[in-house]
Amino acid sequence: MNKIIVLLLILTNFTDVKVKSDQVITRQGQASFFSYTSVENIEAKNNQVLSIIDLSKNKIAVSMLMNAFVFKKSLMHEHFNESYIESDLYPKATFEGEIIDFDPLATGVQVKIIKGDLTIHGITKEVDIKTTIENNNGKYLLTGDFEATVKDFDIKIPPILAPNIAKTISITFRFEYQPYEK
Amino acid sequence: MNTKNKIITFLFCLLLVAGLYFYFGFYNHAYVDIDNVATEIKMSSGELTSKYILNEESANSIYRGKVIELEGIVKEISFLNNRNTVLLHGDDKYSSVICDMQADQTEEVKKLVPGQKIQIKGICKGFLKDAILLNCMLINTQINE
Repeated sequence: MNKIIVLLLILTNFTDVKVKSDQVITRQGQASFFSYTSVENIEAKNNQVLSIIDLSKNKIAVSMLMNAFVFKKSLMHEHFNESYIESDLYPKATFEGEIIDFDPLATGVQVKIIKGDLTIHGITKEVDIKTTIENNNGKYLLTGDFEATVKDFDIKIPPILAPNIAKTISITFRFEYQPYEK
Repeated sequence: MNTKNKIITFLFCLLLVAGLYFYFGFYNHAYVDIDNVATEIKMSSGELTSKYILNEESANSIYRGKVIELEGIVKEISFLNNRNTVLLHGDDKYSSVICDMQADQTEEVKKLVPGQKIQIKGICKGFLKDAILLNCMLINTQINE
């Protein structure tokens, strides 16, 4: 019995070590969103998105500061942070998910579905995101786009501004990963 | 009736002028030039990251949205996604300060080298694994020619 426990401990210890060396990270991922309406187009970019992929478990985590989105006009930035996203209360948007059928060892391009929970404005929704994964000798590049409905995340837009903001926002991302040295 | 029409026309014009003023003067206003705003806090990059690692919430209440002058050692210079980014060493080797430089800083940023001690002024946005500063510019820094 004791031997089994020791064996288990050793095993978990080893897997732990392995996990740590199998992570890749980006601190400067790019996420953008677009809102197209006949009144105006709004675009914002965040260039400091943090993301880590655990290659041994095919798990991905993403985190970004909502107030680090840059708009063309400062008033848009102000409305976004103060009225819609309420970034004082909900400073971060996060995503945690699993890359389905992902083979980290295969080089070249593969297109996979990432299934996970997206949290914006304190509200979590399950999403499937079609993602292009490029593996260039251990340097991973993830790109893709998806759509999110403003109403799903309990974002209230005053009636007077409703024509200016699309009901569905398209989101694109580009994450370039590097090995994560711990 | 005539007077009423005049009043309506006058009010309409007033509204239009106010609207145009609002649109061009305020709505189209671009971002602040960091050079024109006063520094609120001065500290080192190591001190900033250590405050965040210790207690993110209390650090946010002090530093978030503030104009900060940081002194630190260049860890890395990056031009990823067409941004000019300077990373400063943090308190430990896992964290740093990510400084997203203003567009007018490109030439200066290109001349920086890792290990160099510099001073940067920018607006603190918060912390993920690193502290994040936007609208940054170099200050009091000798550029190697």
